[in-house]
Amino acid sequence: MGRKKKKQLKPWCWYCNRDFDDEKILIQHQKAKHFKCHICHKKLYTGPGLAIHCMQVHKDTIDGVPNAIPGRTDIELEIYGMEGIPEKDIQDRRRVLEQKSQESQKRKQNQDDSDEDDDDDEDEAGPSSFQQPTAQPQAAYMAPMTQTGIHLGPQAQGMPSAGYAGMPPMLTGVPPMIPGMPPVMPVMPPGMMPMRGMMPPGPAMPPMMPGMLPGMPHHVGRPGMPSMAPAAPVTVPGLASRPAVPITQSAASKPLFPSAVQAQQTVSGPSSTSSDSPKVTFPAYTQPPSTSSVVPASSSTVAKPPATVTSKPATLTTLSATSKLMHPDEDISLEERRAQLPRYQRLIPRPGQTAATAASAPPSGAVGGMMPPQQSGMRHPIHGQYGGPPQAMSGFMAVGMPPYGQNAPMVPSYQAGPVGPPMGIRPSVMSPGSRY
Amino acid sequence: MTGANEFKLAQGPEDSVSAVKFSPSSSQFLLVSSWDGSVRLYDASANSMRMKYQHLAPVLDCAFSDPTHAWSGGLDSQLKTHDLNTDQDTIVGTHDAPIRCVEFCPEVNVLVTGSWDQSVRLWDPRTPCNAGTFTQPEKVYTLSVAGDRLIVGTAGRRVLVWDLRNMGYVQQRRESSLKYQTRCIRAFPNKQGYVLSSIEGRVAVEYLDPSLEVQKKKYAFKCHRLKENGIEQVHPVNAISFHSVHNTFATGGSDGFVNIWDPFNKKRLCQFHRYPSSIASLSFSTDGSLLAIASSYMQELGDVSHPADAVFIRQVTDAETKPKST
Repeated sequence: MGRKKKKQLKPWCWYCNRDFDDEKILIQHQKAKHFKCHICHKKLYTGPGLAIHCMQVHKDTIDGVPNAIPGRTDIELEIYGMEGIPEKDIQDRRRVLEQKSQESQKRKQNQDDSDEDDDDDEDEAGPSSFQQPTAQPQAAYMAPMTQTGIHLGPQAQGMPSAGYAGMPPMLTGVPPMIPGMPPVMPVMPPGMMPMRGMMPPGPAMPPMMPGMLPGMPHHVGRPGMPSMAPAAPVTVPGLASRPAVPITQSAASKPLFPSAVQAQQTVSGPSSTSSDSPKVTFPAYTQPPSTSSVVPASSSTVAKPPATVTSKPATLTTLSATSKLMHPDEDISLEERRAQLPRYQRLIPRPGQTAATAASAPPSGAVGGMMPPQQSGMRHPIHGQYGGPPQAMSGFMAVGMPPYGQNAPMVPSYQAGPVGPPMGIRPSVMSPGSRY
Repeated sequence: MTGANEFKLAQGPEDSVSAVKFSPSSSQFLLVSSWDGSVRLYDASANSMRMKYQHLAPVLDCAFSDPTHAWSGGLDSQLKTHDLNTDQDTIVGTHDAPIRCVEFCPEVNVLVTGSWDQSVRLWDPRTPCNAGTFTQPEKVYTLSVAGDRLIVGTAGRRVLVWDLRNMGYVQQRRESSLKYQTRCIRAFPNKQGYVLSSIEGRVAVEYLDPSLEVQKKKYAFKCHRLKENGIEQVHPVNAISFHSVHNTFATGGSDGFVNIWDPFNKKRLCQFHRYPSSIASLSFSTDGSLLAIASSYMQELGDVSHPADAVFIRQVTDAETKPKST
């Protein structure tokens, strides 16, 4: 306590690099994941302990610590919680953590610059929470082109801020351009280099870049998107190769894009970004392997799809190659999606619609003819204290038909019910069980 | 598939069930709202349907304001209340878009509705009439009442906490700690916090007290995920219901499983057998002896053929719902 702490770092698992709040939890984790016998599931205390157990009890040898990352599988190192970790690794870890926090700070600053220009409608605390996850996937994507990618990132972000002010319209046009990505992606590595050269001069670049980059950290689905959609296909061919890089950037810094691309690929046809896009199936999504192949390392990285997009709902990212989200692609709720099905759309009363449509749904199909069977037949069961209502109900026949407003006069006669005048706009009649 | 402690409700709805709610006063009566536009009242002890009333369009949620009044709203954007004694219903008001949630707050005696028109409206059940409209930042997907507070979960993963006695301003604006769309929020009976579930097989336990030491206690865990052929299927967690006595909660997912969790010891207490379809809604009876489980396909994978929709009533035991003291 009085001396300098050897490890100021939060407890972390040497075998798999995961962080923990508490050493106790760390030890539980190690026992369950790394020191557990694969044959009898007995939890040992250390790596060597596990090795000895397997040998003595099962006459089996093990090569390395289970579930450990490559390089950390040494079965002979006696590590328990944070004890026994080689000094070198502790320092490595400290350095890595510092780097990460620096990088995320730098990124945050860059983000902040473009943030100020980027007023828009989001106020969520998204950006900072995104930084870490985006840092990694970016690195992952850029694997073939590590340096270039990462350097390009900060640079590119500088640019957009400059060019952004004049670019708002393009901003919205950009995301739809992404559809070009998958075909282009494989081209990226060679494309990367030419891109660099192109960046400064590229006149078309600024429109894209600002759009891509500031847009990325925030949201893809700008409300303005649909309006820009028609423009998108036009611009794409013109910028065939260029989009590659900025899109790379976008893909890297915002894992949303790759899957969004695939999903949007089917939708990005010139006219399809209209209001019926939610109904479009996303074949790309339904094949998890192909989808996730484009999103290799984004294991559970953030997907923060924008919320209300009028006609084009945002799409979700897939988790990883081994996980499939059992949910339709668009980020609207299951009920909303279901409500868009024609068989339910028909039922939603629109102002001025006649009851014919409304009544067509119920199985009984008492179209318009609300009355006749009414009576007690209405409620199957035992209950029925009908009293006043049935009579009042027959009075209601007409009610269902005309637009609600007209029924106001009818309402008073219904007062038989417990309700008061403020009851309001619609005739309470609608309910009459004639429905079924 | 059902055991001796469980049965399926007879005369169930003809389309998917959207919500099940037990009566606040007895574990005998249950309200069931459905995509077939009906709201039905069942007598769970006799397994019979007592009453039924219709909306024009699918009903998305229902609630009791008191043992004799049912409230419901759905795609027709109309809020209806039905008197269960006189079997009469009344259209109390409307929203500008489909109503997604209907909940009652006994402490303040107000009925709350949340809609895709991005507003929450309060209603006085006695008159009945509108008692205010309050705009939310996004479409309302779920809401829950904790004492005199209202927790609203909207699209865009926002969470807002309102004080129902003072709706002039939002008490707390938060963001869901889960990275995917919010599916359901339910408040703890002890009003200390709430449980939030997402479409990505994850549940977060959060606390209302904004002080740092309390906030540190929040956590999240993965659930309702199945591993099949090396691919992990991650299911939305559609339903949450609290056991009023033990403060433990059940979650239901699109994987068809119901799990019961102990939030204090952070353990799972129990998992029931797999139900034929996704679990659309759960409701514990007030005394905690019964759990209503709505098993209905929710179109997670599009329009495909699926097992019939059903509501199961299960008797739950202390062993399944009580935290284990070790």
